[in-house]
Amino acid sequence: MSGRRDDSSADDPTDSFVSGTADEAPRIAFYGGRGMSALPIAFFIVWAIVQTALWRISDTGGLVVGMLIGLILGMFFVRGDWKTYANTIFEGMTQPVAVTAIVAWIWAGMFAEVLQDGGFVDGLVWLADVGGIGSALFPAATFVLAALFTTGIGTGYGAAIAFVTLFFPAGLLLGANPVLLFGAILSGAIFGDNLAPVSDTTIVSAVTQDADIGGVVASRFKYVFVAAVVAFAGYLVAGQFMGGLEIAGDAAEILVAESEPIGLVHLVSMGVVIGTAVAGRHIVEAISWGIVVAIAVSLVLGLLSIGDVVAFNAPEDAPLAEPLEFLPILTIVDDPDAVGVGGSLLEGAAGFFELAILVLLIIAAAQIMIRGGAFDAILEWSIENLATNVRNAELTMVGSSALINAVITINTAAEVAIGPYISKIGERFNLNGYRRANILDAQTAALGYIFPWSGGVLAGYTAMQDLPGEYDWFTADMLVTPIDVVPFVFQGWLLVAVFVIAAITGFGREYLIDRESEEVARL
Amino acid sequence: MSILMKYLKGWRFRSSTPSLTEGDEINVFVAESEDRDTGLAYIGDTELRIDGAGPETVEKRVRVRVTEFDASDATGRGEFLEVVGGSSYTG
Repeated sequence: MSGRRDDSSADDPTDSFVSGTADEAPRIAFYGGRGMSALPIAFFIVWAIVQTALWRISDTGGLVVGMLIGLILGMFFVRGDWKTYANTIFEGMTQPVAVTAIVAWIWAGMFAEVLQDGGFVDGLVWLADVGGIGSALFPAATFVLAALFTTGIGTGYGAAIAFVTLFFPAGLLLGANPVLLFGAILSGAIFGDNLAPVSDTTIVSAVTQDADIGGVVASRFKYVFVAAVVAFAGYLVAGQFMGGLEIAGDAAEILVAESEPIGLVHLVSMGVVIGTAVAGRHIVEAISWGIVVAIAVSLVLGLLSIGDVVAFNAPEDAPLAEPLEFLPILTIVDDPDAVGVGGSLLEGAAGFFELAILVLLIIAAAQIMIRGGAFDAILEWSIENLATNVRNAELTMVGSSALINAVITINTAAEVAIGPYISKIGERFNLNGYRRANILDAQTAALGYIFPWSGGVLAGYTAMQDLPGEYDWFTADMLVTPIDVVPFVFQGWLLVAVFVIAAITGFGREYLIDRESEEVARL
Repeated sequence: MSILMKYLKGWRFRSSTPSLTEGDEINVFVAESEDRDTGLAYIGDTELRIDGAGPETVEKRVRVRVTEFDASDATGRGEFLEVVGGSSYTG
């Protein structure tokens, strides 16, 4: 892929990746040819595989360090002035694609946390209870409810944790098969991660392919729907044949004790976000309305107090703390370690801080790869050997985004890294932004929840390991081994299959001449 | 476009060689440059040669008036009008 030429031609097509300074921006020459400009990204990918797949450490902070080291290592291979390399890092980090995604994540994170703290999952458990759902139907119902929940909160990892914590034990008590149940939870997480306008992967797919989020969500509904109908049928059938565990005690009593119907009010908050986003409003505006509605109904109905939303824990010797202690958001604490700010809004936003830094660094490394020519080399090779016509181009897009998401645990990071490649291949054949974003995000969402080292599986499995400590009846042998769930993540496998078929048959394909995605400035 | 229409759009099998209509003005990305004055765009596997689109328009979104189209081999010609946008990564 590299070393064929090391030139700095002014009409290099990848110049168009860079805002403003496209034509006059400097090139970076590397010892070992232009392929060496891929070293920072390549190092990061190897680091990510070792850390997350081989050592099973799903820690975004660790990936940040891997990317930083990769960027430092790359500098030692630069010919001439290293200042150009350093400036290119800044050039990459200031691209709108990264900043807009980060802003939307932080908003989405706040919204998700308010819904979780406002008892939305409790409401869903109640719904399953009053619906009289038995053991055979429970996995299929879990899939639907997890899909609904994730579509509202946007974070599949958060949904996997919430459902494993609250729904998984309920399902076991009702006699559902644990492996199938875990698979159904992961499938629901995939559905929402792929479709929710507030999902981080939805946002990245739209921004990197220059498409508006509302339009992306509406246009991908057809693929998600087709996969979900088959997945639902799969859970119905499998539920009949795969039995549950024998658990002593009064299952129904425990289930009712966990039920809180009032949490279902957040269906309204969710509807506000989805409705306004699909109607074409700015995503920050849409989520802000969702946050306002969710907080308002939670406060009115007593699901949250104002101190749950924002909480200040001040030390005793703070000058104005004692006179203002009557404020519901202020608490004076004795323990110096307890001093700080908390609450749903902060916790929701803070969940994305590390990922935000990681994405900035990945975009910087991608820019090094573009300026150094490796991106160009890979693209040229793909166009000559793989994407020889529109069908092969789409299959290449499906395969490459599936592969990178299968090996990198944090699927959003993988999506950011492959985004420019998908964009270039798709634009060559005038596939519109919606089609490109849909191909990219389906593989991202699906492959992020299937394998034992996938972030979604790790998140759910981690939460599951706490269950024996929480319930007397829950024994260690009830835990699902991650490798066992792989074949039962129906929505993931089906979504990939739908896109392979869509690429071959042209189902859902849209060209620029059919429809142009609306301006990305909407984000 | 209404919200419902956005959801219903695209439920079909789209040809890999879409047809073009002479006289229509369309926006396309220019894939490569054939010579100093002709650009080549692929719309799926349909090839559109664009007169007046030089190398500077490669990977740019340009407005083109279609002047010829032959459905039998999915090739056409068009006249370059203006650059209307860039790649996704031009912000």
